[in-house]
Amino acid sequence: MSKYQPDRRSFLSHALAGGVAAGTSYLGLTRDLYAQASGPIILGSHCELTGGFASWGYWHDKAAKAAVQLVNEQGGIAGRKVELITEDTESNPATGTRKLRSLIERNGANFIVGSVHSGVMLSAIPVATELKTVYFSAGEATEATGSKGTRYSFRTGTDTYALAAAGAPWAFENLGKNWTIISPDYAWGHSHYQEHKAMVERLGGKVNDPIFVPLDAKDMVPYLAKIPQETQVLFSVFFGAQSIAFYTQAKSMGLEKTMKMYSICGTMEAIAPADLQGAGEGVYIVENFPRVLKYKDDEFHREHNKRMGIDDVDAREANSQRVMAKSHAWQSWENVFALKNAIEKSGWKSKNDDKLVIEALEGMTLPNSLGHPQGTKILRREDHSGMVDCYISRVENGKLEVKKKVTKEDLIKALPPRFDFSKETI
Amino acid sequence: MDLVIALTINGLVWGLIVALIALGLSIIFGLLDIINVAHGDFFMVGTVLALVIAGTTGFWIALVLVPLLGLAMGLVVERLIIRPTISAASLTIVTTFGLSMILQETVRATFGAQPRRMAAPIQGTIPLFGLEYDVYRLFAAAFAALCIVAFFLFLSRTTLGTWIRAVRQDRETATALGIPVVRVCAFTFGLGTAMALLGGAIAAPITTVEFRTGVDILPVSFMAVVIGGLGNLKGTVAAAVLLAVLEGLISSFADPTLARITSLAVMCMVLLVKPRGLFAGATR
Repeated sequence: MSKYQPDRRSFLSHALAGGVAAGTSYLGLTRDLYAQASGPIILGSHCELTGGFASWGYWHDKAAKAAVQLVNEQGGIAGRKVELITEDTESNPATGTRKLRSLIERNGANFIVGSVHSGVMLSAIPVATELKTVYFSAGEATEATGSKGTRYSFRTGTDTYALAAAGAPWAFENLGKNWTIISPDYAWGHSHYQEHKAMVERLGGKVNDPIFVPLDAKDMVPYLAKIPQETQVLFSVFFGAQSIAFYTQAKSMGLEKTMKMYSICGTMEAIAPADLQGAGEGVYIVENFPRVLKYKDDEFHREHNKRMGIDDVDAREANSQRVMAKSHAWQSWENVFALKNAIEKSGWKSKNDDKLVIEALEGMTLPNSLGHPQGTKILRREDHSGMVDCYISRVENGKLEVKKKVTKEDLIKALPPRFDFSKETI
Repeated sequence: MDLVIALTINGLVWGLIVALIALGLSIIFGLLDIINVAHGDFFMVGTVLALVIAGTTGFWIALVLVPLLGLAMGLVVERLIIRPTISAASLTIVTTFGLSMILQETVRATFGAQPRRMAAPIQGTIPLFGLEYDVYRLFAAAFAALCIVAFFLFLSRTTLGTWIRAVRQDRETATALGIPVVRVCAFTFGLGTAMALLGGAIAAPITTVEFRTGVDILPVSFMAVVIGGLGNLKGTVAAAVLLAVLEGLISSFADPTLARITSLAVMCMVLLVKPRGLFAGATR
């Protein structure tokens, strides 16, 4: 037991010291909140540098840094320098939540260029909302701009709802009407299953029971063996190592001989089809941003590739084996420019003006430019979702060859907004 | 019925590969009382080295070189990390956990975070009870079984193997009889590490090569070691195969996720009913 017995004098001195410390920190906080109208604008990058999504996170980090460098080269935002502070979520929702608080509360991030990991971004949105900070998600789980979205949550890229609307009708017409969906057993996979099942059934097709694969599964044979023989379209949703395991083992079982392999960009993200050594041949993929330059060949795309240090066919980094997570990482680039547009348009000066930025982002058109190399897009007012051009590609001779472009106008017609965040009070 | 047989055989195939890896974990625990949290990462290093070496010299040379490199790596790790901390079991958990992170991040920083595919050296499939089954998997299982048999022959028929068993049985008497206990312990750690790397080299064409490959294999190996009886080598092999076959059987008629839950339930039951393992009392 401690022998320390506080007397009245020591109690008062400690209480006084505590009071001074608390008062000083409060003054510091208010200084941060209200006296930064002329300092640098701080952007937080909430990014997967390590863990299961590290092969994607590397590119989100690189894209955000390249975009901030470009913005500063062009004179900053509204004449103010931009500082980017990055926190590693470790591809872990619990860590991600803690790091987001650190970005906003300790580092004073004004806006967040957010995570591509569905679990991380979904756990981050309530925190960003609580701390009244705009958060750009980059993952696909539709809930981020759906049932779990808020006035502070935005996404310039596609979600599972949009990917289903972009690709499923074409795949239904051209590949087959009996579908089986195989995906990882977590938020992203379930979200894709729900959206694609609804879409295919609406078109009159049949969707067999889903096959959800645990994230730690190394041996895919027990799962692949469950695919019904009458399946015409095998829709797969995997990422990273499990993608490669899936394609390798599906190919070794000869599944592509009896059914069409169809997927979304995440499954081939950060992977060059040629590196699969034939296992990915013939697979159809819905892309957000064509891997091969020639399918959107303009000066902005070329300059973006140059600044990201990638080639124009595989999106492979010069002097390394890394392949850019191109269908997702552009968001970390473009979100910086979306914020620049909104800040300059709204006249934002400090956190007190966040409402103006949110209102500026709602319904904003982001024109094809170096800031938006993926192409012109609309950040829809109601559900804060980016309406973008999509591309249905096929792996042929180790390259992703575009077979059909789905325009944002087509997408808007097929995607009525299901939520309206613009009516929420700030 | 065909699916039941096919998935049971697949379970056996995967179980033999896991058994080889778990055997390395078990021998390290049995002799040194070390719970090696980095064992899965040694497996991962095996997959990476196999990919790199196979890319330049071919798969078959990689299959020989990788376990030798594993042995060398194990000897270095034992000398620098394990030996100074071996006096406290809890400390070895912390140090091997640190080693696990160092291995993962070293591979991520050098090899990259991008997952890679390694082409199988034997291509083709054969019909197996309604499934088109990868021939390389059958080779991998046969090779793993051969390595396991060779390991037990080594333990029972060689002087070094006898020393390992002697140190395991009674360290003080073994020391008194002039057995170089410190060197035997070092070699045993190296051997266990080499088995993990060999498992990685065999599994690389089946699974994926990346810095986190070992994270998922560790729990499965631990389950085999726990159910088989901590440090019980034959029990570990039997448990690894039994678990994989059980998962294969259940997967044939139920959700594969349920099969994994069943494995965990079996482990809990064994811990409750036979805390020393299913094969406690069997020859070590």
